[in-house]
Amino acid sequence: MKYLKVIIILVLTAAFALSISGCGKKADGPVKVGVLLPLTGSKAKFGEMEKNSFELAKEKINEARTKAGLNKIEFVYEDDTGKPDVGRAAMEKLVNVNKVAMVTGGYSSSVTFAAAAVAQQYRIPFLVNTGSVDKITEPEAFNLTTDDGDKFYIYRLNPPVSEYASGLESLLREVVKPKSVFIIHENTAFGTKGAEAFQKSAEKLGIKVVGDESYSGGTVDFKPMLSNAKKLNPDMTYMISYVMDAAQLMKQARELNWKPKLFVGAGAGYTMPAFKENAGVASRRMVSATLWHQSLPIPGAKEYFDGYIAKFGGDGPDYHGAEAYAAATVVDDVLKRCNGNYDAATIKKALDATDMMTVFAPVKFTSYGKKIHQNKVETYVVQWIDGTLKLIWPKDLANAPFEYPIDWTKIWAK
Amino acid sequence: MTTEQTNKNPLIAKNEWFIILAAVVLPFIFHFSPYIQGLLIFIMIWTVLGSSWNLLAGFTGLVSFGHAAYFGVGAYVGGLLYFHFHISPWWGLLLGGPVAVLFGYLLGLMVFRLRGPYFALGTLASAEILRIVFGQEEWLTNGHNGILYITTWVSKYPYYFVGLAIALGSVLTIKLVMRSKAGFYFLSIREDEDAAEALGIDTKLYKNIATIISTFWAGTAGAFYMIYMGFIDPEVVFALHNISIITILVGIIGGVGTIWGPTVGAVIMVLVQELFRSAFFDLAPSWVSRMHELAFGLLVIFVILYLAGGVVGDWDIIRKRLHFKRAEIKE
Repeated sequence: MKYLKVIIILVLTAAFALSISGCGKKADGPVKVGVLLPLTGSKAKFGEMEKNSFELAKEKINEARTKAGLNKIEFVYEDDTGKPDVGRAAMEKLVNVNKVAMVTGGYSSSVTFAAAAVAQQYRIPFLVNTGSVDKITEPEAFNLTTDDGDKFYIYRLNPPVSEYASGLESLLREVVKPKSVFIIHENTAFGTKGAEAFQKSAEKLGIKVVGDESYSGGTVDFKPMLSNAKKLNPDMTYMISYVMDAAQLMKQARELNWKPKLFVGAGAGYTMPAFKENAGVASRRMVSATLWHQSLPIPGAKEYFDGYIAKFGGDGPDYHGAEAYAAATVVDDVLKRCNGNYDAATIKKALDATDMMTVFAPVKFTSYGKKIHQNKVETYVVQWIDGTLKLIWPKDLANAPFEYPIDWTKIWAK
Repeated sequence: MTTEQTNKNPLIAKNEWFIILAAVVLPFIFHFSPYIQGLLIFIMIWTVLGSSWNLLAGFTGLVSFGHAAYFGVGAYVGGLLYFHFHISPWWGLLLGGPVAVLFGYLLGLMVFRLRGPYFALGTLASAEILRIVFGQEEWLTNGHNGILYITTWVSKYPYYFVGLAIALGSVLTIKLVMRSKAGFYFLSIREDEDAAEALGIDTKLYKNIATIISTFWAGTAGAFYMIYMGFIDPEVVFALHNISIITILVGIIGGVGTIWGPTVGAVIMVLVQELFRSAFFDLAPSWVSRMHELAFGLLVIFVILYLAGGVVGDWDIIRKRLHFKRAEIKE
C-alpha cells in the first residue's frame, strides 16, 4: 500500500507550488483586467482577431497612461477553448488566482452566458463584447429582476443576437423583396436564438419561412440539408454559422448549384477574412448582416483598421476586432474614472456612468424590455465584392453599390 | 490485488485511514485557495468516474467506452428537475445514481449481448446516441442552450467535502464488493466468461450487478458535477473525448483492476493537465499551455508502453526505478 504515499506527495507538492504561484501580487503594479477568449479550438480564429485588437489598443492606452502618470493596464488572457465548462473554470481562475479588477471579452454565446453566471456570483464586473445571446443581459436568467441593476454585474457593448438583422430588414423590404426564406443555423445558443429572431423578422416582412434546419458545429457533409433546401426553391437563405462551417456551407451550396436570389449570413462567420479564404469562389457576392465596417463615419474606425493590418497583416479585422478594441478603450475609460480605487463597486458605478465614443460605436448602457446594462447599436449589411467586404446598406453610408440581382453562373465561374 | 481480498484485513487499512484523515483535516490547516479546491474537487469527480469504470472494465472485463452516458444522465436528472420544476438539483444527487442505473440496465439489455470490442463499440454508440438526442430534443432538455443553475455556495469548501464523501463512498463500496464472493465472480467473468458460466456462475446476473454499482457511481458523479458546476449541456456531459475517453485514461494511468488505481490516475490527470494548461503557473512560455492535451496523451503512451499495469499496478517497478536499484523486474 506504499503507493498511497504517492498521492499524498503529489497533492502536497501541487498545493505548495500553487500557493507559491498565488503570491507575488504588487500593490502598485499595473491594473489587471481579465480577457476571456477562445484562443484554441474551432473558434480560435475569432479569439486571435480579438486578442490582437486588445493588444493593439493596449499599446495606445498604456502610452497615454504613462504620460498621464497613471497605472498601466495589463490584460490577462484566459483561453475558454470555445467550451462553456472551460470558460467557467477560466473565469474562476481570473477572479481567484489572477485577482483581476474586472473581466472583458466573452466570445461565443454559450460560453459567455455560462461564464457570466460565475462573474455574477463572484460580483466581478464583466464587460461582454461579443457573446450575443439575449439572456446575457437579462437579469431574469440569473434569478434577479430588472430592478436589481445594482446587484447585476454584467454589461454588454455589442447588440443582442435578436437585433443583428435589424439593418438587414430594411434592405429586404426595400430592395430584395423576397417571398420565401430557408433558415440554416448552428444548433448552439447563438444559432437557435438567431434563427428564432429571424423567423420573427420574416413574419413582419411577410416572407414565408419554408424551412428551418439546424446542424452541429464541425459537420463535414451539409449536402443532404442543402439539397432539401434547394428542392423547396426559396428566394433567399439565411444562415447563422461560425467561420469554418460557413465556408463549408457556401462551398457545398455552389457544388450543388443551388441558386436562390440571395445568400445572407448573420454575421459571425460570414464577415471573417477566414471565410473568404476558405470558401474561395463560393464566398463571392455573399451578403451578411454586420455590426461595423471600417468605412463607417466613426472617428478612429479607419485608423484602427489600418493599424491592425500594419501590425498583423492579412485582410484586416471585421466587427469582432472592432468590438474587442472598443472594449479595451471602455475599460481604460472606466478605470480612469475609478480614481485609483479598483474595487468591484467603484468599477460598477463607473460602468453605469459610461457614455463615450469608441471605434465600434457609441457606448452607453441602458435598460429596455427584459434587458439592463445593454448598449444599443445600429446594424448594417455588407457584401463580399471582388474579394473585399463592402458596406452596402444603409444606402447613405454605403461605400459600394449593392450588387443585385446576382448572376450566379457568371459569379461562381472560376 | 489478491492480498487485498483476504477478509482478515480491515476494510480500511492504516495507510488509507491516514489519507482520509489528511483529506479531511488538511483543508482546515492550510486554507487552500478556491483554485486549489477546484482542482481537488475535479480529482474527486474523476476518482468516482474512474473507479466506476474500473469496476466494470478492470474487474469484470466489460470495457466500456461510453461512461459519459451514465455520467450525463446523472447530471441531467438534477438539471431537468431544476429546469422544468424549479426543484433544487441537490435532489439529483439522490436520484442521479438510481436513474443512471435504470438507463444502464436498459442499455445493458442491448449491449450485454455483445462481447469484447463489440461491447466497447456498443457502449460508445449508446453514449453518442444520448448526446445527439439530448441535443435535439429541446422541449425536454433545452438542447444546446444547456441548463444553467446559480450554484448554492460561492465557497468551494462544502463541495469539497461532498465530493470527498462521494469519492470515498465509491472507492470503498468497490473495495467491499471486491472482497466479497461477488468480487471473485467478477474476476472469473473477466478471465473467462464461458468457464465461469460452466462453473455454475450466473454470469448475466453478476454482470448486471457490476453494471448497477458502476452506473450508480457514474450517475452520482454526474449529479454532483451539475450541482458544483452549475452548467451542463449535452456536448459537455455526454462528451466522447472529454468524459468517456478521459475516464478510461484515468483508469489506465492509475492501474486497471486495482482499487486505488483510478484515484492515483485522477490525481495525475488533473495535475498534468493543469500544469500544462497554466504553462507551469506562467513560468514557461505561453505556447506550452496549448500542449495540455498533447502532454497527457504522451503520458498515456508512456504508461501503456512501459507500465502496462498503471502506476498502482506496476508500483514495484516504479519504486525500483526510483531507487535506482538494478533489480530484476518481473513482467
